[in-house]
Order: sequence, then structure tokens, then C-alpha cells
Amino acid sequence: MTLFRSMAIRMALVYILLICGFGYVARVLYTVQISRHCELFEKAQNTYTTRIETHGTRGEIYDFGGSLLVGNMPTMDIIGDPANIYILNKKDADKTETECRMIADFFEKNCENVKSDEIFRRLSRRSFTTKDKDGNEIEQDCHYAVIATGVDYQTAKDLKEKVKELSFHGIAFTSSYRRKYPKNTMLANILGLTNVSYDTFVPVQGIERSLNDAMTATSGSMVYERARNGRHVTFANSRSEPTLDGYDIYLTIREPLQAIVEEELDLMCERVKPHAAWAVLVDPATGDVLAAAQRPTFNPNDRATMTPESSANRLSELALEPGSIMKPFVISYALDKGFVTPGSIVDCEQGVWKYAGRLLHDTHNVGKVPVTEVIKQSSNIGTAKVSVMMGAKNLDTALRSFGFGQKTGIQLKPETSGIFRPLEKWDSLSVSRFCIGQGIAVSPLQLARAYCMIANGGYKVNLRIVDRIERGDDVRVMPVIRETKSIFANPTTKKMITDMMIGVTEAGGTCTEAAIEGFHVAGKTGTAQKVINGAYSNRYYASFVGFVPAENPKFVLLVTCDDPTVGSRYGGSASGPTFKAIAERTLKYMHVQPQLTKEQWLAERSAAQKALHERKVREDALVQARREERDRQLKAQQAKETTKRTGTSVASRPASGSKSNTIRR
Amino acid sequence: MNQFTKKTNPSEDGAGAGRTETPWVAGLIFKMALIMSIIFAAFYARVHLNDKTEQLAREKTRITEQIREKQTEIQTLNIQLAQLKSWENINAKIRQHNLALHAVNPNQVRYMKRFEGQVAAPSLYGSDTRVADTSAGAKQTSAGGIR
Repeated sequence: MTLFRSMAIRMALVYILLICGFGYVARVLYTVQISRHCELFEKAQNTYTTRIETHGTRGEIYDFGGSLLVGNMPTMDIIGDPANIYILNKKDADKTETECRMIADFFEKNCENVKSDEIFRRLSRRSFTTKDKDGNEIEQDCHYAVIATGVDYQTAKDLKEKVKELSFHGIAFTSSYRRKYPKNTMLANILGLTNVSYDTFVPVQGIERSLNDAMTATSGSMVYERARNGRHVTFANSRSEPTLDGYDIYLTIREPLQAIVEEELDLMCERVKPHAAWAVLVDPATGDVLAAAQRPTFNPNDRATMTPESSANRLSELALEPGSIMKPFVISYALDKGFVTPGSIVDCEQGVWKYAGRLLHDTHNVGKVPVTEVIKQSSNIGTAKVSVMMGAKNLDTALRSFGFGQKTGIQLKPETSGIFRPLEKWDSLSVSRFCIGQGIAVSPLQLARAYCMIANGGYKVNLRIVDRIERGDDVRVMPVIRETKSIFANPTTKKMITDMMIGVTEAGGTCTEAAIEGFHVAGKTGTAQKVINGAYSNRYYASFVGFVPAENPKFVLLVTCDDPTVGSRYGGSASGPTFKAIAERTLKYMHVQPQLTKEQWLAERSAAQKALHERKVREDALVQARREERDRQLKAQQAKETTKRTGTSVASRPASGSKSNTIRR
Repeated sequence: MNQFTKKTNPSEDGAGAGRTETPWVAGLIFKMALIMSIIFAAFYARVHLNDKTEQLAREKTRITEQIREKQTEIQTLNIQLAQLKSWENINAKIRQHNLALHAVNPNQVRYMKRFEGQVAAPSLYGSDTRVADTSAGAKQTSAGGIR
């Protein structure tokens, strides 16, 4: 009975232990499989799952025809693993040091800008001290030492082979790329440049900056389960997010035209030695910028050439007083609204006119002339008088309708909208100064756009420099934004102002240097005093802007010289010849047939010359007659006075032009 | 009828009972073998397929790497081509070889007539025929391009 009882107790104990054991196992299983499942599963997954980030490439920049302007140059970075070199040398310090020295010498010999001692120092640093989460200092193995970055792909490939042959340990070659500007200085200020910060491109200026979002690649990732050897287990779970390359940018720039403009600008810089110079070529119908260049410039591949002077984008960022190239806008508005006609006579006061208590001068004396001659001879007084006749409100409307005070819509950042005071802030002098390009500041692009409006018959068009962006089949074309309503109410306004501007390049005009054989060239000169420290200086902006062929313009071209130091400082002489050279070559490139044969053109020129000569003879005769009349009147008056005083008649004053031995009393 | 009644029934004893047991065991063994072989075949097929997949994946990685390398070479060549095509380089070559080149006279150029239905390519020479919107309504484009 006792045995039986003890047996029963022991059985009961075993049952209890078993039950407890199963209970414990059940509890552990519950904890592992249910309550901590997610946490433990994730831990387990992390040990056999790899996540790799994939990076696309930044979009490239092309000209209109697909010629590469900014590309991605494949390169390699060479990285050393100091801790691994030590381990693979069986932790033998001497052997490791010898290998590090050999590696350093090898790369100094085969790579540019690599110093052996520096590499040796980096490779010898096997560990570094850092702090853990709790702030305790800990020693960590160093697995990353940069040997060389941006090594040419082909060079790096050869080096990789050699490293393999020499059995160097712990050297890795990682692919990367850098921005390359294969055309060097061409269009540099417009294209801009990027810096690199931690493998990310940071745009600095130009198109690189303004279209950075479109050009930036979208990074992707891949998460997969790996085998013991680190390989992707393809039949296991994996997921990936696709990588998207950035959009490629196609500009409206035509590379051959750009080359022409850059070359001619260089020649102009040699000829007149200006402080700076720029030129912009625009299609007046669409507002496409066909070429844009400036000097000084820089080479984005060589940062040593970058200075604040050379890197600024003058075309969109600079606001300057334009001078006389503003006159056609005022005159065209006056013609359009009927304030004047081309034949209306304006008294240009022989070069000096006082308005609102201040004197206004012309560079050469002009008398009573028709409005056509005001543009042709670039009379400040004539334009100011027309402007005063129009009134401040109309002048404000005229200039604003040509887009002054507004951005041109070009895809360049930053872009100035210039300085154009609102009407309520004008003073009494403004109406006579804004019209001749004083007291108002505009950007070269604003000027180019305003001339596009004259050239295309008054249609306001936004400037475009980006034609389209592309990524594979995804093509997005930037629309031409052009208003359907002309600012000219009178359909003949364009012809009237164009005819006046043609006169500028004909005999008697201010820029005969810009005339092109076989074509009518409509243009306008501008010589504006530079404002330095709030006062007008003896330095000038010498500009010439025009469009060819005048009747059906293919392009508008603006050439400006900032402070020419050799030769004439006038727009016609400094910038006119460059305008002609660029325009001639551009017309040939565009295959534009001449409007006139050589004989017709020469005949027109000699007729204009003859007309000018006749007009001068007539004017001289008129002046002579007036002078004689005045002398005669003076003489008669003096004789009268003498008779009154003495009762005798004598010659009291020498006649005009007579010699000094005339009898005086 | 359960097993117990079956065993106690004398009429079912003897040779007849042995005959009924053999096919039942054989059938079970056969069924088990069939199931095992199906499982084995499925397992084998899976392993084989995985191996094949692995092989293909390795091949894919190798080819992808080759493509990447070729693309890298193409990119490098594109940059070199752009450098060679730059006016700076062409001009230097013209000077070096003293080539008497000059721009074509526009009178020498003749344009082919466009056939009906032929679409004009975007012109390199100025205004093209792009369709576009405007802020102030419909847009007008100038005709141009290849005439």
C-alpha cells in the first residue's frame, strides 16, 4: 500500500513536472511566436537581408540639335580598407606597413594629385576612437580611407588590373561620375555649374540650378535575402523601388551660332579692350535664345578660372541704364497712337534744351528735323520732346507694354526685372529722361525681348532657353508663350519704326558700320554713361541692337561693350562692327538669301549718300542764309543806332567772316 | 462490424483472412511510396528550379555588369566626341592644317519641296513649328524650318 502510495505520488510529481515543462515551453513559444514575433522576425531578417541603394544619373544638357554641352563623365574612386589590410597580413604590423608603403608609392606613380606620404598615413590608421550611444569612448576599426577620387574610368580600369596582379589587399574601386563640360568656356555662364557634397550634386548657378529638380535623379533601393556568400537568393523574397535618371535638358541654343557669337565677341574684346562684353541672339517669332555669350567668362572644368567677375550671369542678372537704345520704343508708341508721324518736325534746339530746370544735351547739334531723323541721328532732345508731348502716363504705358519692369520668362534664376519706378514715384524730370534710357535700369534680356516685339510686329513673347526636357519616351516641350494681340494698334507702326531704324545703318545714321551687303539692317545705337557710386562717370556702355532682314527678321541681336578703353566709346563704333560680323555669319548659317543684289544695294547706299549730301548742302545754305540775314539785320540796327547818336553812317562791326583789319571805332 | 467481432467470427478465420490483409498493407505501402515520390519529385523540382534560377540570376548579374560597363564606355566616348566636335577643336584643326574653308553662300543653297503629308523636322535655323499654349490664349507660331 505504502509502495503503491509512493508510486502514485511520484507519478503525480512527474505529471506535474511534465505539465510545468510543457507550460513553460508553451509560454516561451507564445512569447516567441506571438507576442515578440515581429521584433524577433525583424532581427532574424536583418541577419540575412541586404538593402542596397541605387542611384540614377543626373540629366545632361544638350543644345537644340542634340550636341552635348554638359555630360556625366564616368570616374572611379579608389578606397582603401586599413583594418582589412592588417587582418589579411595576419596582423603582422611590419608586413602591413610594408604593404601600405607599396600601395601608397604605387598610387602616387599612377594617379594625378596623389601624395605617397598622405596615402600611407591614411592607410596606416587602422582604428579610430569614437563614442557610443552612452557617451563612452570606444575603439573602432577603420574600413574607409580615400586614396583617389574622380579617376578617369579607363585609368582606373588599368589600375584595377595592376592591383590584382600585384595582389594588394583591401583596395576597392567604386564607380562614380562627375560633371564634365566638353565645350569648356562655351555658354559657361548660362549652363552654370555644380559642386559635390557627400556624393550629391549641389547646383551653384545657371541652368544647373534653375532646372535642378528636373535633372536630379530619383534614388531607388533593393531589399533582398542573401546567402552565406552574400549573393542574392533569387527565389526568396525581394522588393525594389526603381531608380529614375534625371531629365535631359535640350536648350534652344544652336551650337554653331553660339560658336560664332563667342568668336566675334573675343575679337571685339581684342579690338576695344572693354571691361566686359556680352551678346545675345534671339528668334523674334518664338523668343528662343539662339546664342548668348559674355566676357569675361570661365571654364567650369577648371575652377581656378572662376572669379566673381567671370562667373556672374550678366545677361539675366545685370540691370543697367540702356541709353539711346530705348528711343525706338517711345517713338514707336508715339507713332502708333498718332502723337507724331515720321514726317513731323521736331525742334532739337541745336543740341541744348532746358527742361524742368535741367539742361539736356545732344552729342551733336541737330536743328529742326523730322521724327525719322530723331532716331537716325539719335537725338536726346528730339526724343524727350516727343515724350513730353505724350505725357508721363503714356510713356509709362509705352515702356511697360514693351515688358520693362517685368521678367522675361526665361528659365534662368535669378533674373532681374530691372528698375522701373511706378508712375506715382516719377519726378518732373522722369518724362524727359526715361525715354532716352536714363533713370531706368533694364537687363540685356529685357532689351532683347523688347526688340523682338518691334521685330515681330508688336507681339509680346516670353524668352525661352529650354526647348524640351526628355527622359526616355517622356518628352515635355516647353511652350512658346506669345500673346495673340499686338501692342501696336496701327498695322503700319512696325514698318514706320523699322524704316527709321534702317536709317541708323545708312549714310547719316549713327552706325553705318553695321550695314550688311544685300540686306536692310534695322538697328539702334546706345551709348550710356555708367552710374558708379550713384553718379554718372566717364565710363560707358556702348551697345548696338538690331534685326535682320529688317522686313522679315530672322533674329534680333544685341551687342554691348562695357567700358571700351581702346578707340571710340560710342555704341556704333565699338559694338556696330561686331554686330555686323555676327549677323553676316548668322545669315549665312541660316541660308538667308540677300534681299538685294550687290548693284541694287550699292545703288541704294549711294542714293542715301547723295540725299544726305544734298540735305547737308541745303541745310548749310539755310544756315548761311540765316546767318547773313541775322548779320544784315544787326548791321542795319547798328547803323540806325550810330545815325541816331552822331548823325553819320559808318561800318561799326566786322561782317561775319571778314578779316580783323576791318575798321572799328 | 468492429475488429473484435470480426476476429471472434469462426467463419472468417483461415486463408480468407490472410488474403484480405495483404492488399491492404501493399496498398498502404504503395500509397505511401507514391506520396513520398511525389513529395520527392516536387522537392527535387523545386531545388532544380532554384538552382536554375540562381544560375540565371548570376548570368543576369554578369550581363548587367557588362551592359553597365559598355554604357560607361559609351558615356566616356560621348564626352570625347563632344570635345572633338567643339568649335574650339575644329577651329584649331582648321588652323593647324591651314584649310581654306568658308561659309556657304546662301545663293548656292536650294531647298527641296516638302511633299504633302511630310512632317517638318524641327529647324536648326530658327523658328520652328512647335505647337504651344499662351497665357493670353491661343498661340501663333511662325512657319519655318525645312522649306
